[in-house]
Amino acid sequence: MTENKKYTWNIIFKIFRKKAGQPAHYDQFDVAVNPDEYILDGIERIWAYQDRSLVFSHACHHSTCGACGMLVNGEEKLTCITTFRSVTRNGGTLRIEPLRNFPVISDLAVDMTGMFERMHAVSHRPVIADTFETSRGRKKEREDLLRLADCIECGLCISACPISATSADYIGPAVLAGAQQPGTFGENVLNIVDSEDGAWRCHSAYECTRVCPSNVDPAWRIMDLRKKLVLTRVKRMMGIKEKT
Amino acid sequence: MSEQTPKAVNWMKWFDPRSRGVGMWAFIINRLSGLGLVLYLVLHLIMLGKLAKGPQAYDQFIAMMKTPFWIAGELLVVAAVFIHGLNGVRIILTSFGIGGDRQKQLFLIIMLVAGAAVIFFAWKMFAHAGGG
Amino acid sequence: MLEEGSLKDHFQSSDRFGEGAILWFSKILSGFLLIAVLVIHLVVNHLVVSGGLLSHQQIVSYYQMAFIPAMEIIFLIVVVTHALLGLRSVLLDLKPSNKLLRVVNISFVLIGLAAITYGIWLVVAILNQG
Repeated sequence: MTENKKYTWNIIFKIFRKKAGQPAHYDQFDVAVNPDEYILDGIERIWAYQDRSLVFSHACHHSTCGACGMLVNGEEKLTCITTFRSVTRNGGTLRIEPLRNFPVISDLAVDMTGMFERMHAVSHRPVIADTFETSRGRKKEREDLLRLADCIECGLCISACPISATSADYIGPAVLAGAQQPGTFGENVLNIVDSEDGAWRCHSAYECTRVCPSNVDPAWRIMDLRKKLVLTRVKRMMGIKEKT
Repeated sequence: MSEQTPKAVNWMKWFDPRSRGVGMWAFIINRLSGLGLVLYLVLHLIMLGKLAKGPQAYDQFIAMMKTPFWIAGELLVVAAVFIHGLNGVRIILTSFGIGGDRQKQLFLIIMLVAGAAVIFFAWKMFAHAGGG
Repeated sequence: MLEEGSLKDHFQSSDRFGEGAILWFSKILSGFLLIAVLVIHLVVNHLVVSGGLLSHQQIVSYYQMAFIPAMEIIFLIVVVTHALLGLRSVLLDLKPSNKLLRVVNISFVLIGLAAITYGIWLVVAILNQG
C-alpha cells in the first residue's frame, strides 16, 4: 500500500474473529486512516490488504441498507457513517465486534433472518407515502410521493436491548416499531404484539432509540403501541366496536 | 467478548451499564430497587408477625431497629421506595405518550427528588434515634 | 418466507399464560395506587412519633381508628399484587419454559393468597389486642 499523506492517524483494530468449529478470539490490525473516514473504510482496508479471510456485511455505504451494524468499543454503530474522529483519537484502539443477540455467521457478520421474517410478519412497510405540511401547519400524506421508511432494519436496536439478550422470542424494538408504523393493525399483528413476547417485554431502557441511526425512535413507537393495545383491549372489554 | 445467542444466563447483562445511556441506568436502578423491595417485603411481613406475640417481643425488635446500622438499612428501603415509585411514574407517563422525549431529564429529576427525600428521612431518623 | 401475520404460529406457543395488556396495566395501576400510600406509610412509621418507629402500643392504638384496618388490608393486597406481577415480569424476561411458567403462575397465586391471608390474620390479631 503506498503511503498516503491524508492518512494521518494510526488506529489499532482489535477485531472479533469466529469461524465455524473454532473458538472465538480477537485479531489485532494496525491501520493508517484519515480521522474523517468511516470505521467501515478501515475494516475494508484490513480485508483488502491484511486479511482476506475477514468476513463482514456491507452494501450501500450510505446508511440506507442497514448491513454494516457492529459494536465499536462496546457500543452499537452503523460503521458506514461513524467516523474515526467520533469514537477515538490518533493512536487509539477500536474493539470491533458483531452485533449482540444475533447468531454469528462468521467474524462480524450475523444472521438477521429472524428479524427480517418478523418485520414482514408484522406488516412493516419499507416504502411509505411521503408527508408534507400544509400552509395551516397540518401534516398530509401524498400517495403519489413515496419514500423509504425510516427503519433500515440494521438491527442495532435489538443488539442494544437488554431484554433481547435473555429472550430469543422477544420480537424486539425494530419489529415492535415496525408493527406501530402503519398506524393500525389487524388481528394477527395485534396478537403478536399484545403478547408475552411483544410490547410487554419492553422495560423502557431507551437504548433502542439511543443507538438508532435512522430517527425511527423505536422506544416512542413501543410506548405508542402499548397505549393503543391497552385502549383496544379496554374497548373490546366494554363492547365498543372499533372503526375499520 | 460479545454474547451472540439470547439466553437466560445472559441476565447479568441487564446490570452492565458500560457504553449505555441514561435510560439504561434507569432500567438497572428500577430493576435492582424492585427486586430489593420484594425481598424487603417478605422480611417485613415476617417481622410484623411479632406484633401478634405481644408488646415485649415487638418492642424489643423495634429497639434493635433504632440502632444506626439498621437505620442505615431502612434508609436504603426509603431510597428504593422513592426511586422505584417515581421511576414508575416516569414509565407510566412515557407509556401513555407524555414526556417520552424528555425521559432523560425526567429520570434525573426523579433521582434528585429521591436523594432529597433520603437526606430528609436520614436527618429525621437519626435525630429520633439520638433522642431528638 | 413467513406470511404476514403468521408470526404467532411460528414463534409462540398458545399453551401458556404469559403477559398481555390487562396484566401489564394491572401492574402499573397497582404501582400508581401504591405511591401515595407508601409515602404516607413511611412518614407515619418513621417521622411522626417521638423516637421514630411506632411501639406495639402505638400500633394497636393506630389500628383502633375506624378506616385503618381496611386501608392497611387494601394496601397489602395492592403491594403484594404489584410485587408478584413485577417479579413475574422479571422472570418472563428469562423466557421460562411452558412447564416452569405454569409452576411460577400457580406458585405466585398461592404465595399472594397466603400473604394476604396472613396479613388479614395479623390485622385481626392486632385489633384483638386493643
